[in-house]
Amino acid sequence: MLSVFASGNQETAASSISEAEQSVAQSYEAVLDAERVGANVSDLLVRLNNAAGLLSEARLAFEVGNFEESVRLADFSGGVGSEVRNEAEWLKAKAISAGVNRLWLFLVGSVLAVAVVVSVSLLGYRYFKRWYYRRLLKMRPRVGQA
Amino acid sequence: MVLQAAVEDEAEGRASMTLRFQDYRTLFLGISLGFVLLAASPALSIVISFPSGEERFSELWLLGPNHMAEDYPFNVQVGEQYNVYLGLGNHMGGSMYYAVYVKFRNQTQPLPNAIMSLPSSLPSLYEFRAFVPDGGAWEKLVTFSVLEASLYENLSFVNRLVINDRGVRVSSSAIWDSENKGFYYQLFFELWLYDVTSQSFRFHNRLVGIWLNMTS
Repeated sequence: MLSVFASGNQETAASSISEAEQSVAQSYEAVLDAERVGANVSDLLVRLNNAAGLLSEARLAFEVGNFEESVRLADFSGGVGSEVRNEAEWLKAKAISAGVNRLWLFLVGSVLAVAVVVSVSLLGYRYFKRWYYRRLLKMRPRVGQA
Repeated sequence: MVLQAAVEDEAEGRASMTLRFQDYRTLFLGISLGFVLLAASPALSIVISFPSGEERFSELWLLGPNHMAEDYPFNVQVGEQYNVYLGLGNHMGGSMYYAVYVKFRNQTQPLPNAIMSLPSSLPSLYEFRAFVPDGGAWEKLVTFSVLEASLYENLSFVNRLVINDRGVRVSSSAIWDSENKGFYYQLFFELWLYDVTSQSFRFHNRLVGIWLNMTS
């Protein structure tokens, strides 16, 4: 009877650890996605470190047969992981929105700047051309020796 | 139109015009193109990305109890506590999820195979997990002691260790090393990296360790 109870506890603990592992790994992937689009994830990494520490503790507690503590730590770790995942998704959406705004700003800014440069260049070219020929017409050919 | 170079402005006695108009036009176009590229650089930076060229790697280090690369524990006794600092540095170009597995071996037991990039087949006694941002570092104090050990003629047995307040069973033995005069064991740390594609940790081919001589 006692052994069946212990075995049940062990299974519950193993399942909790597995779920926490998955939660932390998925959170990490969400954080990576957010980081790739330019979100600041330093705070999330600190919290993920806490979750990972709890997960390690849970695994160690499991190995020494302390299944109750293992379940408690794993659930706590999984909870932190879920929070981090949600926040990472929110940060990702925010970073994408900011990125789109920046993209438009860069595009419009660049188009305007190119238009100004091209206009100034054309005007400058016309002015220079006129100035060049005017100067040239004032010159006289020099007679050189063959 | 060929407008000859070396035409002198006799009226004003100025310096000669050494370039033809076509040359001026080419120069003008080149400068203008440079300014156009400069003006378009914010938009171009979005579509063109250059590889950084930096080497990507991870660091793994072990420091002594004074946080220096010296005074590492060597001659160990049962019941005595020893400290080392374990550190990680990430230069992989993005945040990384690391695991460090602590293992214990005698002189004949296997180390990781660096050429094949295979970890040691010995079981992990303790693990650390860390998320490290790119360019960041992580460090942890590792406290260990030998809880149970025995000596029998030219054999030494280590049965239990305590790592960061966790008791772990090891059951490792060492034969007297007559050349170096001691019973040698190694406490080593393997670095693993979480692989998003396979959704599991894989050995990252990094290892640090310290040799321990069981004295009593």
